[in-house]
Amino acid sequence: MLLEKEMKLADVINHDYNLIPVISRFGIMLGFGDGSIENICKEKDVNIDFFLTILNTFHDPQYLDRKYLKNFSATLLIEYLQKAHNYYLVNKIPEIECLIDDMANKLEVNKSSHQLLQKFFEEYKEEFIKHIEREEKRVYPYAINLEKSVVKENASPTLLSQIREYPINSYEAEHESVEEKLTDLKNIIIKYLPSSDKQQSRYKLLKELAVLEKDLHDHAQMENLILVPKVEVLEKIIINQDLKNNNK
Amino acid sequence: MSKSKKVIVVSNAFLLSVGIENLVLELSGMLVDHVFNGSEKNLFTKISNKKPEFVIIDPISVADSLLKLIRELNQDRYIKIIGLISSSTNQNIISMFKHTLNIQNSKYELIEVLKSIVGKEDKIISQNEQLLSKRESEILKNLALGLTNQEIADKLFLSIHTVMTHRKKITRKLGIKTVSGLTVYALMNKLIDIREVERRD
Repeated sequence: MLLEKEMKLADVINHDYNLIPVISRFGIMLGFGDGSIENICKEKDVNIDFFLTILNTFHDPQYLDRKYLKNFSATLLIEYLQKAHNYYLVNKIPEIECLIDDMANKLEVNKSSHQLLQKFFEEYKEEFIKHIEREEKRVYPYAINLEKSVVKENASPTLLSQIREYPINSYEAEHESVEEKLTDLKNIIIKYLPSSDKQQSRYKLLKELAVLEKDLHDHAQMENLILVPKVEVLEKIIINQDLKNNNK
Repeated sequence: MSKSKKVIVVSNAFLLSVGIENLVLELSGMLVDHVFNGSEKNLFTKISNKKPEFVIIDPISVADSLLKLIRELNQDRYIKIIGLISSSTNQNIISMFKHTLNIQNSKYELIEVLKSIVGKEDKIISQNEQLLSKRESEILKNLALGLTNQEIADKLFLSIHTVMTHRKKITRKLGIKTVSGLTVYALMNKLIDIREVERRD
């Protein structure tokens, strides 16, 4: 279903619960009342077009093909992506950690298998945090810098050398491993972790992992299909601006 | 999961092609790889380059070149051709197809027909597919202990290519791709001992 600004936000959420974490990234919390998307956005001072595009992208990943997201600035996009990072780190990862611990605690049998799982997730978490840190400390500031320089039509020598030595495409392909480990974890729990009396925690855990997996996948798609191509265009513009300036 | 069987659709009608994609997804191990417009030039070459197992054709979309296209496709004995028909389709056209799907049928009627066309040859193999062979277990053990593909190849006197092929099969059977995931599996199933892993670190 195509989501439009005249629709009531409550109807949209009833239609697709996966959107709850997404709206919270825009500062819209449950209990938002009975208003349309448009009205609630105005009230909360949220960019309506951007909000709607993000909602549609999460609701139907094929929406990305339409490239609407390309029309927004890298800065706006990054602001959203950072909020998503924050949500993973502050909410999702601790929640999952809690469920894994809950499943592993006070077990009579198969204790070691559960400890292996804990250790596996610990490793995953470290890798995930490193990945996010790298994006926030290097990739995002780089993209924002590029965008600012394009507007000013004047790039600093540091930025120019950065474009030449570490262009955006030298960062790519890292998402894969983070996604693969999560899939492995799910399969291990479904197929190979010996059963215990903690079935309920296991169901909850699997559900949370599946939700995180989808969220992360959409997130990565947004970076790979929207942000990276956008940054590549900015890099080209700056290089061309620089060539022109030097020829003057 | 085993390798997907490729389906090519020839149709200009959006509603039809979306419907077919959904229908094909109902059968595991099948996937619509591409939808061609019936009026495209060099259609046969484009289709055969994709090496599909099945080609589903909406006769209306190819109009007069239908017979020519079917003749060309028939030269490739690996391709099964399926015609999309309805109660108003001309009998001459229906007779050109060995297999047909009637677009007026209900979902599960269509699934039954499609299943019978696809055949059942794969089902029996999938039973044995879960178990790792002796060689695969051996390679899994070494992977879990942190050896690289090259080191495993040297140790077991195999080519690196063979090791990689085994590795792909292991991943397909277990549903686990990363080395740390494989290590957890190997430990849980006592293929290796935790002390061996710790020695590695």
